[in-house]
Amino acid sequence: MNALLSMESLTGGYGDADILLDVSLHVNPDEIVAIVGPNGAGKSTAMKSVFGLLTIRGGKMLFDGDDITRWAPNRIVQRGICYVPQVDNIFREMSIHENLEMGGFLRKGDLSAAYDRVYTLFPDLKERRRTPAGSLSGGQRQMVAMGRALMLDPKLLLLDEPTAGLSPRYMEQIFQICRDVRDTGVAILLVEQHAKQALAFADRGYVLAAGKNRHEGSGADLLADREVAEMFLGG
Amino acid sequence: MDLFELLNFYVIPGIVLGSIYALGAVGITLIFAILRYAHLAHGDLATFGAFVALACVTAMGVPPLAALPIAILVTAAIAVGIDKVFYEHLRERPKIVTVMASLGIALMLRSVVQVVWGVDTQTYSRGIVRPEDYFGLRIRDRELYTVAALIVLVGGLQLFLTRSKWGKAMRAMSDNPNLALLSGIDNRKVVMLTWVIAGGLCAASGFFLGYNTEIKSMMGWHMLLPMFAAAILGGVGRVEGAVLGGLIVGIAEELSVLVIPSEYKAAMAFAILLFMLLVRPTGLLKGKVL
Repeated sequence: MNALLSMESLTGGYGDADILLDVSLHVNPDEIVAIVGPNGAGKSTAMKSVFGLLTIRGGKMLFDGDDITRWAPNRIVQRGICYVPQVDNIFREMSIHENLEMGGFLRKGDLSAAYDRVYTLFPDLKERRRTPAGSLSGGQRQMVAMGRALMLDPKLLLLDEPTAGLSPRYMEQIFQICRDVRDTGVAILLVEQHAKQALAFADRGYVLAAGKNRHEGSGADLLADREVAEMFLGG
Repeated sequence: MDLFELLNFYVIPGIVLGSIYALGAVGITLIFAILRYAHLAHGDLATFGAFVALACVTAMGVPPLAALPIAILVTAAIAVGIDKVFYEHLRERPKIVTVMASLGIALMLRSVVQVVWGVDTQTYSRGIVRPEDYFGLRIRDRELYTVAALIVLVGGLQLFLTRSKWGKAMRAMSDNPNLALLSGIDNRKVVMLTWVIAGGLCAASGFFLGYNTEIKSMMGWHMLLPMFAAAILGGVGRVEGAVLGGLIVGIAEELSVLVIPSEYKAAMAFAILLFMLLVRPTGLLKGKVL
C-alpha cells in the first residue's frame, strides 16, 4: 500500500534553529498514527512541518503523489490536509454552525452534505448549533474544532494534542470519534501527551526524542517495549 | 427649563451628533478588530468625504443627499488605495508603525483638502432651515436623514456581517486570525472589504457633520477623539457597541453644556475615554482589550 503522507529525513525548525533532525514517518490511508515523546521532543513541530509552518532545511514531504515540502498552508488545505491546533482552535464568538461554515469556506456550492456528516459524527453539536462556540465545555470545543477541520472533506486530519486538559471521560470520547472519523476514510496523524492511552488506541505510533526518531511500530508493540515504557511512559 | 426645552436643545442635537460619531466609530472599531491598530486618519478621511460631496454639489448642482452615495464610493476607493499604497507594506511590522503612518496620512489628506478646496468654511446649501414641529419636538429634516442613514447603513452592515459568507469571514478574521488563515480565508480580501466599509461609513460621517453644521478642513480631525471614545466605550470590535458609544458620547457632549462652558464640551469625550480605559477597558459590550 502506498503511504498517503510520507515525511522523508526531514530537518528544519523555526528561524535558524533546527528542531527536527532527520525525522521520517509515514501515514497510510485509513490509519490513525500517534506521535508521542517527552516534552520538547519536537512532536508538535513535526506535525506543523506537514502544514508548511516551519523552515525546512532538508528532506521532503510527499502527500498523495505530490511533493508538498514547500507549499503554502492554504494550498495544502485545498489539497486535502486539515489541521486542528492545540489551542485557539475555534471561533469563540461565532456559533457552532458558523464555525463549521468557516471550515468549509473554500468549498464551492452546497455544504449540506458536509454539515450532515459532521453533525452525524457529533450529534451533541447539532442540538446546539446556534450556541456561540466560546461558551462550550472543553470537550465540546474540541469537537467543534474537529468538525470545522472536517468540513473540507480532508484525506488527512492533523490533531495537535486533542485531549489536552480533558477529563478521562471526554478523552475516551474524543478517541472514539477519531476511530469513527477514520472509518469514514480519513487518515489521522495526532500528537499526544497521554502516551499510554494514545498508543493503546492508535494503529501505529512513533516515539520522538530530542527531535529524532527513537522508536516506531504498532501501538501494542511500542507499549510492550521496555525501553519505551521506561523512557517515555513512566514505567 | 421644561422637558421640551431639554429635548429640543440638548437631547435631539445630541442624538444627531451621536449618530455622526457612530458612523465613524463603527469604521474605527472594524479596523481595530481586523487589522488591530488605531487608525488616526479616520477623522481626516471623513473630512475628505465631506468635501467630495461638496464638489459634487457645486460642480453638478445635485442636492446634497444625492451627492452622499458618490462621496461614499469615492472615499471607499481612496481608503482601499491608501491601504494598498501605504499600510499594506507595514503589515508585518509592529502595529505602532502603522498607527504613526496613519497620523501622517491624516496630515496628507488634510493638506490635499486645503490645497484643493481651501481653508474657508463652506456649506452644502445656503439659508436657514427651520425645524418642523412634531408634537412639540422640533426636528429638522436633515436631522431625521442623519439618524435614518445611521440605521440603514449600520443595519445593512449587521446583516452583511451575520448573513453573508464574506461578512462571516470578516468576523472570523476578527475572532481568530490564525484559524481563519488555516481555514483558507483570503485575508487580503477581508482587509480590502474592511477598508471599503470603513471608508464608506467615514464619508457618511463627514457628510452628515457638514450637512448639519459647516464644512471645513479641520472638521474631521476634531471628530477623531469623540469617535475613538465611542468605539472604546462600546467595546472594541463591537459594531453595535460603536453605535451605542457614539450616541452616548454625542448626547453627553450636548448635555455637558448645561454645567460647563460650551468651549469645553469636547472634553466630555476625553473624560469618557479616560474613564473607560481605567475602569472597564473592554467597553460596555465586552470588546477586545487593546
